[in-house]
Amino acid sequence: MAAPRNRKPGRKPEATPGGRRAASGKDGREFVAEAEEILELMCTDLCLLHEQRHGEREIDPDLVHRLFRSAHTLKGLAGLFGLDALRHLAHRLEDVLDALRLGRIDGRSPVVGLLDEGVSTMLALVSGFEGEDATRDAVVARAENFLAELERALAEPTGASPDGLAAVALDPSIVRALTEYEEHRLRENVGRGRPIVLVDATFELTSFEEGLAEISGAVRESGEIISTLPSAAAAGDGKICFSLLVATDLEPSLLARRLDRANGSLSIVHPGRPARATRPADPAQSPAEPAGAHASAGGGFDASSSGAATGPGAEDRRIESLRSISGSVRVDIAKLDLLMNLVGEMASQRTALTGIVMQLSADPRTARIGTELAKIHKLLDRRLKALQAGVLDVRMVPLRQVFEKLSRVVRRLRIDLEKDAQLEFTGGDTELDKLIVEQLVDPLVHVVRNAFDHALESPEARAVAGKPSIGRIRVAAFQRGNHVVIEVEDDGRGMDVESIHRKAIERGIVSADEALSERDVLGLVFEAGLSTRDEVSQTSGRGVGMDVVRSNLAALGGLVEVHSRKGLGTTITITLPITLAIIQALIVRVAGERYAIPLSSVKETLRLEDHRVLRSEARELISLRGTPLLLRRLADEFEIADAGAAERGFVVVLGMGEQRLGLVVDALDGQQDVVIKPIQGPVRQIRGIAGATELGDRIATLVIDVSALVAESSRRREAA
Amino acid sequence: MTSESTSASAPALRGAVSGDWLALSRSAARSFHSVPTVEERRELLVVEAAGSPYAIAVERVREIVRLAAITRIPRTPAWLAGVVALRGEIVEVVDLRRRIGLPQAAVTRSSRIVVIHGDEAGIAGILVDAVRGVLRIPEQDVLPTDGRDFRAVVEMVRTPDGFVGVLDLERVLGAGDEDGR
Amino acid sequence: MKRILIVEDSATMRSLIGASLEAIDASVKIVEARSGFEALRLLPRESYDLVVTDINMPDINGLELASFMKGSAKYASIPLVIVSTEGSERDVEKGLGLGADAYLVKPFDPEALRQIVLDLLAVRPREC
Repeated sequence: MAAPRNRKPGRKPEATPGGRRAASGKDGREFVAEAEEILELMCTDLCLLHEQRHGEREIDPDLVHRLFRSAHTLKGLAGLFGLDALRHLAHRLEDVLDALRLGRIDGRSPVVGLLDEGVSTMLALVSGFEGEDATRDAVVARAENFLAELERALAEPTGASPDGLAAVALDPSIVRALTEYEEHRLRENVGRGRPIVLVDATFELTSFEEGLAEISGAVRESGEIISTLPSAAAAGDGKICFSLLVATDLEPSLLARRLDRANGSLSIVHPGRPARATRPADPAQSPAEPAGAHASAGGGFDASSSGAATGPGAEDRRIESLRSISGSVRVDIAKLDLLMNLVGEMASQRTALTGIVMQLSADPRTARIGTELAKIHKLLDRRLKALQAGVLDVRMVPLRQVFEKLSRVVRRLRIDLEKDAQLEFTGGDTELDKLIVEQLVDPLVHVVRNAFDHALESPEARAVAGKPSIGRIRVAAFQRGNHVVIEVEDDGRGMDVESIHRKAIERGIVSADEALSERDVLGLVFEAGLSTRDEVSQTSGRGVGMDVVRSNLAALGGLVEVHSRKGLGTTITITLPITLAIIQALIVRVAGERYAIPLSSVKETLRLEDHRVLRSEARELISLRGTPLLLRRLADEFEIADAGAAERGFVVVLGMGEQRLGLVVDALDGQQDVVIKPIQGPVRQIRGIAGATELGDRIATLVIDVSALVAESSRRREAA
Repeated sequence: MTSESTSASAPALRGAVSGDWLALSRSAARSFHSVPTVEERRELLVVEAAGSPYAIAVERVREIVRLAAITRIPRTPAWLAGVVALRGEIVEVVDLRRRIGLPQAAVTRSSRIVVIHGDEAGIAGILVDAVRGVLRIPEQDVLPTDGRDFRAVVEMVRTPDGFVGVLDLERVLGAGDEDGR
Repeated sequence: MKRILIVEDSATMRSLIGASLEAIDASVKIVEARSGFEALRLLPRESYDLVVTDINMPDINGLELASFMKGSAKYASIPLVIVSTEGSERDVEKGLGLGADAYLVKPFDPEALRQIVLDLLAVRPREC
């Protein structure tokens, strides 16, 4: 090999002013965005860390390592931009996390409790990066305080350091590539008596990540991956080898069997001590297998050095920590989805069974069996409902975590905009499907940011208007039937209906001669052409990017509405379904095709012939208890057949938030529980269709996207 | 193009190897689940539309199903026959006849849906008049076509019975709207 | 043309290293990998004249990448620069032990990085 080796031209340059980047411009913004992302990840990771500390659970080393990496990256970035305060702080946090990951301090050390303050100070520092000098100074002072506290805490005696690395039969080429941290993990695991094994696997280069993920998953169920070492040497062209250095709680032979399916081979590097306490913790391990069988099957498994070597104290601690593990389990959301799908399919099969029960009961010859079956069916039904509720419940998370994120955003805005506002939350206990909560964060942050930035006036302007000098934003969540409602209310300047109307006419969104109610005009802030313009936000007090907010929420089957009174304030109301997974649906028929409509959006159904259909302009409407209800014929909407103006049929009264719409269909086919599935294939987004479901007859039934239909309806008002 | 290695290994060999890598990664980018091989034979599933044969790369085929009831989806192009429920999955089905510019035909007993591994691990179906079988063709019998001459045929394979067009699945299953309403 | 692969999980760092190196001259083409895995996928696709890698990354770390490259007949001759943050001195030493050709400690001076890269590229023969 003629390539240059071991040349060390590297020197450690001082961070000269020339080497620093100006802390502004494109790189600056990129830095702020990335630093915020890292800090947010740290917030989440710290939450998990505290959960594990207080739950007396073993602290996940991967978690601590990730936190360390975050602090490490941040330190590097801050150094590059010459942000000494941030760099210093990140460095100290890194020290703490380094000590923690290398086992030099214990997870219960009070220093660990200081990390949150460190992260929020860094968040403030990063925000100050864009802000004024004065704010920055205040934050730097806060950082100094924190550091002083940290120094004191670090001065306290810490846990003992671990013993040296025992003789582990490892290929030097592997040891050479271990980082300091990986060496520590190896030592730690050897010290705990876990067997250390090397798992080798070869993959196609084009798909190694999937294969590796499969093996990693199998290993992580009951162990830890210390190092993942790729090599090209033994592999053929187009292939890549990986050697995984693994510490496991399983008997190596058992792990080997598990890895068989994933084409991994296993060799034992260090036998470890069989720890009895591990066995009950692993539910996947068959209880029928005699304990002695593994010792020999493992090959080189050292059965003679029994658990006694660990010492009774260690054993106790271990059992205790295992016991606390059983208290709560973290589950991959994909596994929950699988359960959910199964339950959903059972629900649709139950519906098919209902039909059979009814048929049997109706026929006098089989009525007796029918009645028997009906009884069982009823019991089954009740259990299934309980099961369904149970699975749904597991997916539910309180909105509080979203609220915490909102208060962080506002904290930052306070610094950025040098403006204060009182933020109130109610209903943090309100629960929503985890998937919805995840998707909800961005739109909600957007709405709150708008309220803070655009809707609240300056203290002077508020004083003139006779309002308290500090503005107020109230975020309230509550459940209403099958929906969760979130209101964001401010006491700011309110929206100027006339100004919005004028702008909308200027931009050709509505025509000048169109008569629009105040609510119609306010609804226009969600239109793309209008809401992205800054002028509107300045004159009307709201509306930046609201079109995006609406479409994001619509994707969740939600709806957003706005109420505003000029000078008094604005309320944005978001209505969301509680879950996306299983819903009750009304099955309707139009021109022979079946459609499912989520029952949560159906207010009532009416017979068309009981009502007189009136016409106004091109629209049909009926009178419903004295108020007009606009009708739309599903057959027209979906161009299924020439619907004409049939006088027979049914009106499904749809309600989303405060909007109503009467959907005309040919027939009603009853209610069913359905699992909404995404439609796979070339056409990704279909307006008005939320997905499809299978009703137990192996025929796909389309699920109507009510919020899209309702939104379309209000947008189409101008159509002549 | 780039500078060559100074190592003792023959530069020619090195070039050949990286050429293989290139070919492999290209074919990997084209075919999702398949394991690319350097074999010289190609396996093709031959299907029929309007009396003519068309070929589909076998490694892209997940399964072939008898025709189930297809649910038409409103507001979609005419070449999309609709969706079917396939063991819990909801899959769009493209009507091959309409996609290649032929008139729609009545579904018969021999009609089949060929389920294809699409991109991003998704799947999609192609409605064909019939499935004829699998062909093994040496690479030299695969001839390129001028892409402008056909809507979805990218190559021609020479068979004892004449030429068979190989379908570019990206074009068949692409959202491209040339025949849409 | 000189093709340089930058392996670094921080977007800011990537773009700064990239910008530093692109400033050498127009013949430098930067390819970015956001993780060690991505680097493994990118390496066989094209030939590279130099690789710059971070140490701490989420999937495989810089040492593991170094061990992979220097242990393979195909990639051993590609000069490898490790860019690390202060505090990882031991890991840097290990990297050099694995055959890495140079290292640089963040925060680095872009000029120093350019100098190292130019040195390493100069040893290799010119364009054929």
